[in-house]
Amino acid sequence: MTKRYDVVVLGGGIESLVAAGYFGKAGLDVLVVDSAETVGGTMVTTESVPGFRFDSCLDSAGFVSPEVVADLALAHHGLKYSPGEPLMVAPNPGGPALRLSADAEATATSLKQLSPADGEQWQAFTDRITGFARLLTDIYRNPTPRPGEGGAGDMISLLRLAARARLLGRVELMEFLRTFPMPVADLLDDWFEDDLLKGALGVVAVRHLALGPRSAGTAFGLLHQQVGAAAIPRGRPIISGGVGHLAWALEVSARERGVEFRTGTAVAQIGVTEGAATGIVLDSGEEISARAVMSGYDVQRTFFNLVDPEHLDPEFVAKAARIRYRGVAAKVNLALGELPDFTGLNATDLHGTIVLCPSLNDLERAYDHTKYGEVSKRPALEVVVPSVSDPSLAPEGAHVLSAWLHYAPFHLRNGSWDDSDRSALGDLALRTLQDAAPNIANTVVGREVLTPLDLQTRFGLSEGQVFQGEVTLDQILFMRPVPGWSHYRTPLAGLYMCGSATHPGGGITGQSGRLAAAQLLRDLKKQVMRT
Amino acid sequence: MTQPYDAIIIGGGHNGLVTAAYLGRAGKRVLVLERRHLVGGAAVTEEIFPGFKFSVFSYVVSLLRPDIIRELDLASHGLQILPLESTLTPLPNGDHFMAWGDHDRARQELQRHVPSDAEAYDEFGVLMHHMAMAVRPILDMIPPDPASLSPGDLKSLLKLGKHFNDLGPERFHTLHRLMTMSSADFLGEWFECEPLKATKSASGIIGTFLGPRSPGTAYVLLHHYMGDIDGAFRAWGFARGGTGAISEAIAGAARAAGVEIRTEAAVEKVMVERGKAVGVALEDGTEIRAHMVVSALDPKRTFLQLLDQSLLPDDLLDGLRRYRYRGSSGKVNLALSELPNFTCMPGPGAHMAGAISISPSIDYLERAYDDAKYGEFSRRPFMDCILPSVIDPGMAPPGKHVMSIFVQYAPYDLNGGWTDAKREAFGDAVIDTLAEYAPNLKSAILHRQVITPKDIESIAGLTEGNIFHGELALNQMFFLRPSARWAKYRTPVKRYYQCGSGTHPGGGIMGASGRLAAREILADWGVPS
Repeated sequence: MTKRYDVVVLGGGIESLVAAGYFGKAGLDVLVVDSAETVGGTMVTTESVPGFRFDSCLDSAGFVSPEVVADLALAHHGLKYSPGEPLMVAPNPGGPALRLSADAEATATSLKQLSPADGEQWQAFTDRITGFARLLTDIYRNPTPRPGEGGAGDMISLLRLAARARLLGRVELMEFLRTFPMPVADLLDDWFEDDLLKGALGVVAVRHLALGPRSAGTAFGLLHQQVGAAAIPRGRPIISGGVGHLAWALEVSARERGVEFRTGTAVAQIGVTEGAATGIVLDSGEEISARAVMSGYDVQRTFFNLVDPEHLDPEFVAKAARIRYRGVAAKVNLALGELPDFTGLNATDLHGTIVLCPSLNDLERAYDHTKYGEVSKRPALEVVVPSVSDPSLAPEGAHVLSAWLHYAPFHLRNGSWDDSDRSALGDLALRTLQDAAPNIANTVVGREVLTPLDLQTRFGLSEGQVFQGEVTLDQILFMRPVPGWSHYRTPLAGLYMCGSATHPGGGITGQSGRLAAAQLLRDLKKQVMRT
Repeated sequence: MTQPYDAIIIGGGHNGLVTAAYLGRAGKRVLVLERRHLVGGAAVTEEIFPGFKFSVFSYVVSLLRPDIIRELDLASHGLQILPLESTLTPLPNGDHFMAWGDHDRARQELQRHVPSDAEAYDEFGVLMHHMAMAVRPILDMIPPDPASLSPGDLKSLLKLGKHFNDLGPERFHTLHRLMTMSSADFLGEWFECEPLKATKSASGIIGTFLGPRSPGTAYVLLHHYMGDIDGAFRAWGFARGGTGAISEAIAGAARAAGVEIRTEAAVEKVMVERGKAVGVALEDGTEIRAHMVVSALDPKRTFLQLLDQSLLPDDLLDGLRRYRYRGSSGKVNLALSELPNFTCMPGPGAHMAGAISISPSIDYLERAYDDAKYGEFSRRPFMDCILPSVIDPGMAPPGKHVMSIFVQYAPYDLNGGWTDAKREAFGDAVIDTLAEYAPNLKSAILHRQVITPKDIESIAGLTEGNIFHGELALNQMFFLRPSARWAKYRTPVKRYYQCGSGTHPGGGIMGASGRLAAREILADWGVPS
């Protein structure tokens, strides 16, 4: 008779690790199962080219929840991060570069070289947007309110939300309500005139969305990306050793609390007995039983790959099938023999995210191709050179460069992604980079291109969507991951979900793992009290 | 010295007339001032070419609130709505998609295209009916101010909260999705048939500067589902005599209630004394005094043109500056020697009495939008055509016909600006595209009138040619229409009110704004509703 765990956690992504850490802290018997050899999910640092270590998928840990860092004592477990500076830069052929800094005053001064009017506006814009982001940060710290679902708890959390929203003040509250459904292009046009500035912030707003900056609701995209930030844009906390180090610290912290890990172990099925999840079956046929299962996978993978359809309620299946994933971004990792020389940028600038998108119209045109299932002819790129801040990532004098390319739709008009598509995409990224940094082509010593299909295959992300479902107004809060199931439970008793698929969604690191763990712990406690 | 009027209504569009009629019925002495020679605003019928009458701007009716038809007894004032039975969507491959108003026939047609869609069609109809019912009370509601702590607002917010709560989670979630999704995505969950999806989602882009794949358009789709003729949801109709006949019927009801209507009386300014509106000054210098003034014009004209900006608080000025119009549609009106002959359905037939929609696929609509985004009119636009003379022979000389073509997209801000040559080029693009489906069209044209957003602005007085007095976008609706704090039909100037489509619930020949404004005005007057 094998051991029965309290909780088996599926997947070794960050949220799974956070949840496991909380279970460990509560003294439960916990097993984390990950098909990858190294935990971390989309936050892994891999030596894809000998001597060069890349943040293979996500190159930013987003907003790491301070509660999680404190609760799981991550600082004691070797997690070190510092805010990158500048936050974001954009080269400007024939003019001064765009430099966005954590210090709004410095940004304003710098912006005045591009547009005096925009420089004047910056502080007020920062105040307004960060005020809205603080409200979202508070909302994201708690389980989502569920209007229409009628429970007393829901009423209280709705009233709490209303009270919190009123703290914004009368004018700002109305502005908040007015802002989030807008196209980000309209929001930016209301404030600014400089194309380079608007193009850069536009890219932030449409990250991993199959929408262009003129699509309604993308202003919310910008607010979501601002959660936890006191400056615009949020910037990228620089984790020494790469983003994978966050997973490493979480794993160490969890192991110290007795959490067991089985990596390189694929799960074949979630075991169901009498309508409740009772464990998992591995690819090897081995069965592991548990009182509860926590899945860090997305809905598609959790329910349509791992649960026998006979156990699923058809209405839930119908709703789950409607989730929009449609990944639209590709990742390009380059090993460089020398530092890329971006025209008009200085050495300090390379610490920030480098945006290549001259204007909102360029971004919108890049999006237009997506609608018809084509890769953008002139894509927008978000580029980082993490080895500038952390030389340990590359051999001496050499560098690693990572770029997200928008837009490369998962669904291509002419069939599925193949090797030649991938290679063409890499060439396109390289050409785009070369226009901005002419020395790049001659310094590439290795490259890795991850199409949305590759992101699906390698990281188990449906349709290559790194947020496990688009973060759009119809798929957030009480609608995420599936309307009616936003509190981490699922229609299968004993099966829970965490991860970007759940509230509060992608880029808000640690929160869903923490909230999901709390829900499961409450439910287990009730169970114990009943028995 | 004549006795001052109780109320002056600026603008004789349908909303202005509705407000006037309700105030008149409450016993007030009301004067309506209209700049043009006829009432109706964007709902007018004019004989543009001898013998040929056109609903020059708006062309169909479905949204007119049944309460208004009943309360103002519009039928006795000549309003007669003839149903449009079908929508024909010709396809490039020579086939067609025919959306019948009759449910069984609609199913049969879907069966021919995508059998599974026929099943979905039943369920979808029920769903949209429920959603329209869920939104309908909001249309008849004065928007509460969510940032206010006044008992009235709190009560109203609680009522709204209870309404949503009573819907139950399933319907509430669906409503949330409709409010936030794109029409293409929403319809894509139900149907596969491209022309069906495209023709339906076309109503999600009307009056907006968005494509069918942009979030927010599903709501506009629902807005167009709110139509309600004889209790049947989403039944489009044509007013006998054109849309001008609707305005005439409302004007008739107003006159019967003692309202005086003066045309060719353009208002220059609202006269304000000690913070109160006391009357209006006409462009010819005449001053007319009244106890209160109501503007049925769009927000820009209501506030920025008729008032001194010094009277307005900064937040309102800021809100108005950011309020978006961006007219995106134009109109082509044709006088025809014979009916167009559609290749997909040759000869005359029942389809001539319905709408004809050039919307073969979602991609087609998106590409039309792509042109407009970058400042050009669509080379191959979306078109919604009707042949009013087929339904109402009085619209054209015997044997001849009139055709009304609603066209999107034609951006107000055209690259280089609109010129006579650009207008004609736009007209040519429309006719060329339509002639691909009806080859005899070009030779049948006796006269054509091309109306750009710029023309809508200059003739009908709608800022930037937006047919809804401002885009019907989520950030410009309900308590944000036209601006935060000023969504309850009042203005910062005492005794000066707004009642046009730039107020909740906005666009279409609906009349709801005018009716709600009248309710608020009478409440301020101490008249119980």
